[in-house]
Order: sequence, then structure tokens, then C-alpha cells
Amino acid sequence: MAAADSPSTALRRRDLCSRGIRLAGKMRADVVDLLDTYVEQQGLDASASVAAVEGVPLAAVERWDEQTGTQRLLENLAAYRAFRALLAQMLEEQREQLGEADAGLGRALAAVLLQVSAFAYHLEELLRLESRGIPGEEGDGPPPPPRLSLFEQKLRGLGVLRELAQWAVRSARDLRQLAKPSPATGTAPGLAESP
Amino acid sequence: DSPIQYERVGADVTMKCGSMDWDAAVTWTVNGTDIDESHLNGSYLILKNVDLSQSGQYSCYEGSSWHLKYQTQLRVGTPPKEPVLMCRSNNYPKGFYCSWHLPTPTYIPNTFNISVIHGTKDMVCEKDAIPKNRCHIRYLQLFSTVKYKVTLTVTNPLGKNYTTATFDEFAIVKPDPPESVVAKPVPNNPRRLEVSWQNPSSWPDPESFPLKFFLRYRPLILDQWQHVELSDGTSHTITDAYAGKEYIIQVAAKDTDIGTWSDWSVAVHATPWTEEPKHLTTEAQITETTSASTSSFMAPPTTKICDKGAVVGSGAVAVCWTAGLVVAAYSVLFI
Repeated sequence: MAAADSPSTALRRRDLCSRGIRLAGKMRADVVDLLDTYVEQQGLDASASVAAVEGVPLAAVERWDEQTGTQRLLENLAAYRAFRALLAQMLEEQREQLGEADAGLGRALAAVLLQVSAFAYHLEELLRLESRGIPGEEGDGPPPPPRLSLFEQKLRGLGVLRELAQWAVRSARDLRQLAKPSPATGTAPGLAESP
Repeated sequence: DSPIQYERVGADVTMKCGSMDWDAAVTWTVNGTDIDESHLNGSYLILKNVDLSQSGQYSCYEGSSWHLKYQTQLRVGTPPKEPVLMCRSNNYPKGFYCSWHLPTPTYIPNTFNISVIHGTKDMVCEKDAIPKNRCHIRYLQLFSTVKYKVTLTVTNPLGKNYTTATFDEFAIVKPDPPESVVAKPVPNNPRRLEVSWQNPSSWPDPESFPLKFFLRYRPLILDQWQHVELSDGTSHTITDAYAGKEYIIQVAAKDTDIGTWSDWSVAVHATPWTEEPKHLTTEAQITETTSASTSSFMAPPTTKICDKGAVVGSGAVAVCWTAGLVVAAYSVLFI
């Protein structure tokens, strides 16, 4: 059972949501630019279909409009934590592959990684506001994936960035849902749990 | 009902008179009119290089008895060319629709069949009653990177053809144009026009899926448009209009994050407020007006104090500046 929002909580939530929406918008624009650079520099075909890669959180969701606020926050947080690890790995692979030859791509990757981390933190703030326990991150993370060939690494990178671009759009929508005041109780819709 | 026979434009058609022998004496008619014997080869009717005008009911009668021996409906047409298919979501995130047409008519009945696949999943596109060449799909998933593949097959008695369209969820999002666009002059501001509009009614949830807008305007006498992009809100004040010039104004909409711009809205016209000339027409007209409205600052719309061309705006705001002064002066006297 959730208590009705205090005015300051509601205000803080709206503030966090609107900042989060702006963060998500900027992140998406940067990921889309990064995708163009990545495709070009990795010599990939932009229209290549990439099968769902293990460990990459899919943005696709059924019954999105029925999700509760808590579900939205938790799913977003899990996704961006996963992206944080995946981008860090991509950065590592990038450095191994090309060293200094492709500093621009490396810098762009690092910038997006920073935004992903910032967004994850932002989501934690929102969860704290709802007095939700923040799920701990798994100890050392998932076991290291099998070593992929260079080409497989590139394709996986493409998959990661594409899903991240989708997530950035979804996150903005999720936060707008969260920011909507619920008419009856004054709490954001879906954040009040039924007893 | 006689059977229907479909033939291609330009084909040579031979019709047999039922079971009659080749050398039987027969008469052929088309839509009740006798056909000249020059088209006959024995009892066979020969139509060379048929065209559309030769569609009709063909009947064959035995010579002497005038018994009807054979009848057919000839329909001349063409096999279908590759159809034109368009899919669009104007009600995101509810779903999308696909509509289609043939680039050239076939002149005979066509059947359309549409299939939609999302990844490996078959989806059902529900046909609309009106218009007939349209179907709609509800999104089962949102934010998917998996593309949709739509295949449209068109079949008629003379052949078939098909086309496919492949797209992702975001790419086909295109709202309908904004509605109820209104442009009004701003009193006492000769360079301003106030424009307002509404979200398209087909857009289901503008709060969660806000639209941004693009306004364009120009004076009728110029070809060059001015553009303004607005990230939110459904109104805007133009502040650089040329005084006294009639403007044409349109608005377009787009989802803030995805998809493409809508078509332009219906155009509205407006002219900025202009100051009235200081002279008045006759004393008699002033008296007539002021006795009718002693406590109001507004002259009734039918007032003749101003020349028609000197009155700007519409409805209650339509007022001659100097007439208003005169009325105000008289009102003060009566208080």
C-alpha cells in the first residue's frame, strides 16, 4: 500500500522525470550519430539484420500501456545497467582492435557510456523517491561471454547500439507516463501498489 | 445469368455458338444488336484485337428458329500491374494501417490479399469496410527493432501481381495534420498574428506521445515562406508580419521523437490589425450607431461608419478604432 504523494515528492518526481526525458532525448540523438559512425567505420551494412544477441536487453515490450510505474523503473534500470557493461566491453574491444587508429569512435562510445551511466543513476534516484529498494547489481556480473570473432563482435556492437537507441525512445515515454498525475489519488499512475 | 468470359485487351477472341456445327446458319448479337457477318467464320464469331468497348453480352441464335444457342458476358480487361502499397501509423502507439491501389485500372474485378509478418509472427490486418482498399493492425509490441513485412497480392481472372513493403515501427509514424487552425489579428498590433490549432483527433495520447509542430506563413503577395518550429504548445504569435498584408498560414505535426512530419494543415488566411483612418463618413451614421450601443465599446458588425476595407478581424473584435472613440465619448456623457 502506498501513501498518497506529498506535494514535495510529486514535485521532485516531476522534476526528475522531465530531466530524465531530456537526458534520454540527448542520449538517443548521440546513439543515432554513433550508429552511423559505427556502421561506417566497422564496414557494416546499415540494413543488416542482427539476430537478438544474448545479454542485450530488448526494448520490445507487450502491453506497454498496462505497465505499472515500478515495473517501468525496474525494467529501465536493469536495461541501462546491462548497457553500461556491454558498452564498456565494446570500448575495450575497440581499443584492442584498433588502438589509436580510431580514437573518434572510441571517444563517441565513451561519451555514450557516460550518458548511460548517468541515466542509470537517474533511475535509481527515481526509485529511491518511491521508497523502493534498489535491486543490487549481480556480484561480478554474468560469466564472461565466449570469445567472439572480430566480425561477430562488430555485429553484436551493432545490435547493442540499435537496442540502446530503441530504449532511449522507450525511456522517454516511460518517464512521461510516470510524470502523469493520477486523477484520483494524486500519485503517479501505477506507482501505488494494490495491497 | 450467362457465364463471364475475361479476355485481355488486344487479344483475338473466337466464340463458338455452343454445340452448333461450324457450317450452321447463326446470328450473333452484342447487347441486342446484330453483329455484321464479316466478323463470322462459319458459325464462329471472331473478334480481333479486342478493346474495352467490346465488352458486353454476346448471344448466338440459330438461323431459322431463332433459338438462343449460346450466351456469354465478355469482359475485356488487363492483368494487374504491380500495386502501390502504403503503410502508416497516424494513431501511434495503437497501430498502423496499410492502403493500396492499382496504378492503372484493369476494368475487371480484382481481389486483394494482404499478409503482415513481424519477425516470424503472422499478424492479421483487419480490412476496413470503408474505404475498401485499406486494413489496420493493432501493435502487439512496442519499441521493437524487428521489421514488419507486408505483402500485398492482387489477383484477377487475367493474372496476378504483388508488392512488398518492409519497415520498422518508428519509420511509418506520421500524424494527421493539426486541426482547427485559427489565425487572428492582435488588436493594436499591426505586425502580429495569433495562430492556434489543435492536435489531430486521430492521435490517441498526446500527453504521453507529445507532438511538435512546424508553422509556415507568408503574405499572399510573396512566394517565400517563413518557418517556425515549436517543440510544444498549440499556439504561436507571429510578430514580424507585414502590416496590412493578407497572410496564408499552415501548420504540420510530428511526434517529438520518431517518424515523419504530417502533411500541411488546411490553410488559413488572416490580415494583421490596422489602424483606422481618422476621418468618418457622415454625422448621421455616427448618431445612428451611438443610440444603439450606449454602454458598449464595440460597434455592431453592420455599422457603416467604416469602409468595409477598413474593418479588420472578425466577429466581436471587428471595430473601427475611431468609431470606438466616438462611442466611448458619447457613453461617458450618458453615465
